[in-house]
Amino acid sequence: MTAVSEAVTSSALRAREATVRRFAFTDMVFRAATRASAILVLVLLGGVAISLVAGSWEALSKFGLNFLTTEAWNPVTENFGALAPIYGTVVTSAIAIIIAVPIGIGIAVFLTELCPRPLRRPIGIAVELLAGIPSIIYGIWGLFVFAPFLQTTIQPFIINIFHSVPGLNSLFAGPPYGIGLLTSSLILAIMVLPFITSITKDVFDTVPAVLKESAYGIGCTTWEVTRRVVIPYTRVGIMGGVMLGLGRALGETMAVTFVIGNAHRISASLFAPGTTISATIANEFTEADGALYTSSLVALGLILFIITFIILAIARYMLLRIDSRTGA
Amino acid sequence: MSTAASLHQSRKRKNAVMMALCVIAAGIGLAWLALILGALIYKGLSGVSLSVFTQMTPPPGDAGGLLNAIYGSIIMTIIGIVVGTPIGVLAGTYMAEYGRFSRLTTVVRFINDILLSAPSIIVGLFVYELMVRPMGHFSAIAGAVALSILVIPVVVRTTEDMLNLVPNALREAGTAIGAPRWVVIRSVAYRAALSGIVTGILLAIARISGETAPLLFTALNNQFWSSNLNAPMASLPVTIFQFALSPYEEWQQLAWTGALIITLTVLGLSIFARSLTGRREDR
Amino acid sequence: MKPMLSTDLNVTDTAVEKAKIEVKNLNFYYGQSKALKDINLSLPERSVTAFIGPSGCGKSTLLRVLNRIYELYPKQSAEGQVLLDGKNILDRSQDLNLLRTKIGMVFQKPTPFPMSIYENIAFGVRLYEKISKAEMDNRVEQALKRAALWNEVKDKLNASGQSLSGGQQQRLCIARTVAVKPEVILLDEPASALDPLSTAKIEELIDELQADYTIVIVTHNMQQAARVSRQTAFMYLGELVEFDRTEKIFTSPREKRTQDYITGRFG
Repeated sequence: MTAVSEAVTSSALRAREATVRRFAFTDMVFRAATRASAILVLVLLGGVAISLVAGSWEALSKFGLNFLTTEAWNPVTENFGALAPIYGTVVTSAIAIIIAVPIGIGIAVFLTELCPRPLRRPIGIAVELLAGIPSIIYGIWGLFVFAPFLQTTIQPFIINIFHSVPGLNSLFAGPPYGIGLLTSSLILAIMVLPFITSITKDVFDTVPAVLKESAYGIGCTTWEVTRRVVIPYTRVGIMGGVMLGLGRALGETMAVTFVIGNAHRISASLFAPGTTISATIANEFTEADGALYTSSLVALGLILFIITFIILAIARYMLLRIDSRTGA
Repeated sequence: MSTAASLHQSRKRKNAVMMALCVIAAGIGLAWLALILGALIYKGLSGVSLSVFTQMTPPPGDAGGLLNAIYGSIIMTIIGIVVGTPIGVLAGTYMAEYGRFSRLTTVVRFINDILLSAPSIIVGLFVYELMVRPMGHFSAIAGAVALSILVIPVVVRTTEDMLNLVPNALREAGTAIGAPRWVVIRSVAYRAALSGIVTGILLAIARISGETAPLLFTALNNQFWSSNLNAPMASLPVTIFQFALSPYEEWQQLAWTGALIITLTVLGLSIFARSLTGRREDR
Repeated sequence: MKPMLSTDLNVTDTAVEKAKIEVKNLNFYYGQSKALKDINLSLPERSVTAFIGPSGCGKSTLLRVLNRIYELYPKQSAEGQVLLDGKNILDRSQDLNLLRTKIGMVFQKPTPFPMSIYENIAFGVRLYEKISKAEMDNRVEQALKRAALWNEVKDKLNASGQSLSGGQQQRLCIARTVAVKPEVILLDEPASALDPLSTAKIEELIDELQADYTIVIVTHNMQQAARVSRQTAFMYLGELVEFDRTEKIFTSPREKRTQDYITGRFG
């Protein structure tokens, strides 16, 4: 009975079953390829961590935790410490964020609340295009245009104003080099501004229209709606955007390398040249002779990696919370 | 009554002040973009000539061009994209399709986001340890690998996002006519998400074509024409870096011209990429 | 008591009609929650069966078990038996792709693939059959004629499937399903997103298709069920309340809940 019915459709059915077996195989292969690629992403980050630890092992085992607290950086005596670059990295990034956050939020408010509708998209795109400009462009602009401008106009002016004010006179002590910590901070501020702006604008857009309308409905001004409704509602998302900007600023290399001055010392004055972790690596890595020197530079990289990893993880976590709220 | 009126006045005044500050902030943002682009065009354009595209980078004090640097950038960018894109697309495919509900996807997404914004100089150090040190010398292929590592997270992110936008109904429909999962992905999901995925690839190209830090100690630089992937190779960004910091006027001029070329390329790619997805949104 | 109702029907009807699909003691779970409770019914060959009931009653879930499309998602599982020509399709050894070539499905929202009208149909055919261009042209034409779409699209077969109107898209989806020569066609509220005119066309089509295919249609529209189906299953809260000939369900249902639903007292 079954033999008869099989005979009727046998050839077509057998062809179909062969196809199905082939499909099962190719599907398995494709699935395995996609899964392997996804795992490769994890392997990459793991590989970065492992290679940095391995590369910095020599320096870390020689200097131990003193590496973090020593200011000296002397290739001749082979005495290396990360304090100056860490200081420069943290200070320039912090100043950059302090400058960029209010401006970034201001632009986001402008774009969501004030800007005439036809201009919104072009201005929004223009701000995002700023984010796409390679950092070396900011560097070359900073070195040839911005630093001389600061050196000849802004810095002498500020030094003159504050030279008799205690505290501020050491913070803004001359001579005006043009390049230095403050110049780097300003360039970094320009660089992270688009990131902060576009993320802030995106999270502002997640505020339900009803919420804003009801605030306007009870007579709130635009500023009050922004201050009392929009910003509190999106606080976590804005913090995420700020953290993301901070991560960028901490790791930014080329823009800073041009204008930081590359001096391994900690000065009270923001006008003084300094260095950052990434600028030190970029400037010295290919010229470093001696295993310990190279290893110390890799150790700097490891420190930068750890700092940015923590900052970025916090940023992603915060942005994730915003996403899950709007998704729900 | 009068206190209410004055309160109202002060609130209005405060609003006007804050809103004016927002407008000023936007003005600053746009002015800065204009300043940078203006300086770039002003300084860069004066050095643009045919010789930039036909001559090699010169020794100090001589006139020359950027041909070998442009060539090197193009070669390493192409290899970086060719290596990085398939991995990125496949990983994004796993996350949006086969592994949409798996824990692995959550972990990969988080790690990928970190990789996406990790400092590119760290990637340079990684590839140095991974390739340059074992091989004993700098090479173009190491530079290309460093670039591909920067490409992967960008492509993973956009691929996953774009595939997630493809309606599930379409996948169900493909599955319901008996197509195996990979055919549904290839012929239905990829097609539906195509413009988005291409946008991601273009943005990745835009990103790596201006990257300097990861090339500094992988591909290094090369003053001469070289098409040997196993040897150091010049690239536009590294050449700009070297020339801009030099005391020679000819080199500085070439640096500005190179910067203009890179910026126009990157802006062009970004605008083109945006126009692809922009059309989608309008529909 | 309840499962007995459906078997009663089988006893009387299967004498004349062969059952194409038999569902036996089917339970279905979304994670921990039970969405289908001990379903038993038997779908006769070459006729239209409608699943009706208020939203959330499990009618779509039951439909999605029949071609195991639910397997696309995690944490969904079925227990029991679904026999297609006497063979249990819930069996682990059942190849899903092969199953779906035998049991086609059309969805609530039209789902044309992002390709041309021609390719939308050829795509499914090409998966399992190697045929010449001429044969394929013929196959596409036949499928489009079958779905009453040929006259509207014959001059623009290379246009995108997504450029068609909603009703045309849905008929394209039916054509696509028919083209792979299934034995059963599942329709999940196929007309709920369409205008009345398109709906009428789809219903007309269903009526014609039942000469060759076993058709199962889920609908929230009771008039539609009454117009197109020969037998109707009324479901409520994951249970099969009543299953009988359509005119019986709509004129003299046995169960009070069925009566309440069809007279519009709830749902």
